Amino acid sequence: MSALVLVQVLTSGIAVGCIYGLVALSFVLIYKATETVSFMQGDLLMAGAFAALALNQGAGWPLPLAMAGGVTALVLLGAALERTVLRRALGQSHLTALLLTFGLGLMLRGAISSVPAASHSMHRLPVGFAGETLQIGALVLAAEHLVVIGATVLLGAALTLFFRGTRAGLALRACSENAAAAELMGVSVARMHTFAWALGAGLAAVAGLLLAPVTFVHLNMGLIALKAFPAAVLGGMASLPGALAGGVFLGVVESLAGLMLPEGAKDVVPYVLLMAALLVFPDGLAAGWRRRR
Amino acid sequence: MSGQASPQHAAAVARRLRTLSAGALVAAVAVFVLGADYALSQAAFVATYAIAGLGMIVIVGQCGQISLGQGALLGLGAYVEALLVVRGVPAPLAMAVAVAAGTAGGWLASLPARRLGGLYFAMSTLAFALIVEEALVRAEALTHGAAGLAVPTLVLAGFPVDASWSQALAAALALALAWIAARRCVASRLGRSWHAVREDEAAAAACGVDVARAKRAAFAFGGALSGLAGALYAHWIGFVSPEQFGLMLSFELLMLAFIGGARELAGALWGALVVVALPQAISVLTELLPAGTATPAGLESLLFGAVVVALILLRPGGLTASRTRGEDPDLTDTA
Repeated sequence: MSALVLVQVLTSGIAVGCIYGLVALSFVLIYKATETVSFMQGDLLMAGAFAALALNQGAGWPLPLAMAGGVTALVLLGAALERTVLRRALGQSHLTALLLTFGLGLMLRGAISSVPAASHSMHRLPVGFAGETLQIGALVLAAEHLVVIGATVLLGAALTLFFRGTRAGLALRACSENAAAAELMGVSVARMHTFAWALGAGLAAVAGLLLAPVTFVHLNMGLIALKAFPAAVLGGMASLPGALAGGVFLGVVESLAGLMLPEGAKDVVPYVLLMAALLVFPDGLAAGWRRRR
Repeated sequence: MSGQASPQHAAAVARRLRTLSAGALVAAVAVFVLGADYALSQAAFVATYAIAGLGMIVIVGQCGQISLGQGALLGLGAYVEALLVVRGVPAPLAMAVAVAAGTAGGWLASLPARRLGGLYFAMSTLAFALIVEEALVRAEALTHGAAGLAVPTLVLAGFPVDASWSQALAAALALALAWIAARRCVASRLGRSWHAVREDEAAAAACGVDVARAKRAAFAFGGALSGLAGALYAHWIGFVSPEQFGLMLSFELLMLAFIGGARELAGALWGALVVVALPQAISVLTELLPAGTATPAGLESLLFGAVVVALILLRPGGLTASRTRGEDPDLTDTA
């Protein structure tokens, strides 16, 4: 019985951790490519879920099309924001980027919550598998958790192929490693910045769509991005697979803490872990950061 | 010697006169438009925010660190004040304890600075603030959790400070004390070590500045001012709950320091004015819209975000700084 409970708790922990990891991935992607600290990933995540919801229930598109439309909308939004506003924060202090992205996130959240239909109630994306369970013997697993894990694995594989195999992926990596050298090799760094923001916003939107069946679609769903910072730091801030792994680790530890520690400890665990990691392994984690400076 | 210093001195006096007359103009307009009572109660908030803002300016503008958790330090001060005053401790004594709690909190939050720099340290202050907020929610026996605590009126020397003019006066006095303390610190050896750390940590360390100690001192000082501001804020609002001191307040204070101009202490006052006045102005504006078109709360944060973004793009150095040279040609023309 306890082994079954453990497997179930671990599955939900990994699923939630995958979402932390995806948000952390988008954060690290943007940070590496543009040196901009983005505090709006949570708001992009929420906007992606609401865009899909609006296309599905407002405009009556079929769900898969609406989901694709939501992600596309966020990709375009990310690119547009980079072209108009975020480009100006390039090369300025972290504080400027931090406040700028926080302000943009506030605008995004404000814009969505000023629509009366969005702010009044919780919404649910009508996916077929919501509430379904998968039964293997005595083991009962929630379908939405398995879908999240499966989708994250697929997305991770696709991103790996993209970064290793395609010209655009290689150019983005070159740009993140050394922008000046990449520029000399004929990579358009400005275009790569736009591309990084588009990809980062799109990834956040995907995370939002995956989160939608687990929780509801609501205005505060972006708060989950606060857990993405510990995930990104645990993963080393400079590594994309690290960010994903950090997120999964965080989700597992959090779910185990919920099982074993008293009520409320679960919510503090990611931040205690962050503090501990920063204090105990500052060199290991900070090495990449120092080299970049 | 006095002849040598006089042109600078004259310029400083002229600048101070300009600041004073601008301040007087703002005050006169506020009293005229809002009525004296309302303007005074808002002035109390502006002064209280300015105290916390001074602490932020010491951390951000003087020592060059980013604190994402200043709201939690205000929360510590506010809760200590509320819990002690409810138990019958005289308010000035409670305030001293609140300042001590803020100092201790700031010191504690700065401990990771011994080993971390830059963005990592900023993340650790965020983690600290989220832990404090969660602890305030969970310690229900003491804090009543998310339901919050009622705070009695501030009583100073047997005199209840409940009218708006007395609140404004008390806040202004506290601000004056905080200002003197901040000025003295910034002008001292400690302040010079802060500036050295801000400009270049390695060079500062090479010159014999204890970098970690300078950061600790900046956070302890910023924490003390936050504790004081939190204690006053608790009395003005009359109610404390953990959500008041969350991430939004921390960001408001960062914006305050940034908008006002973090290099100069005067930035705290201008930033506080903007941060307090802006939401009010926006809510007046949104009331003008026909009812039912949009949710007012959403519009308010939309406009607040828009103003913040615009200010950062147009005035990267803050309101007190002259326009700095940016990369974009249309930002470099003179105002």
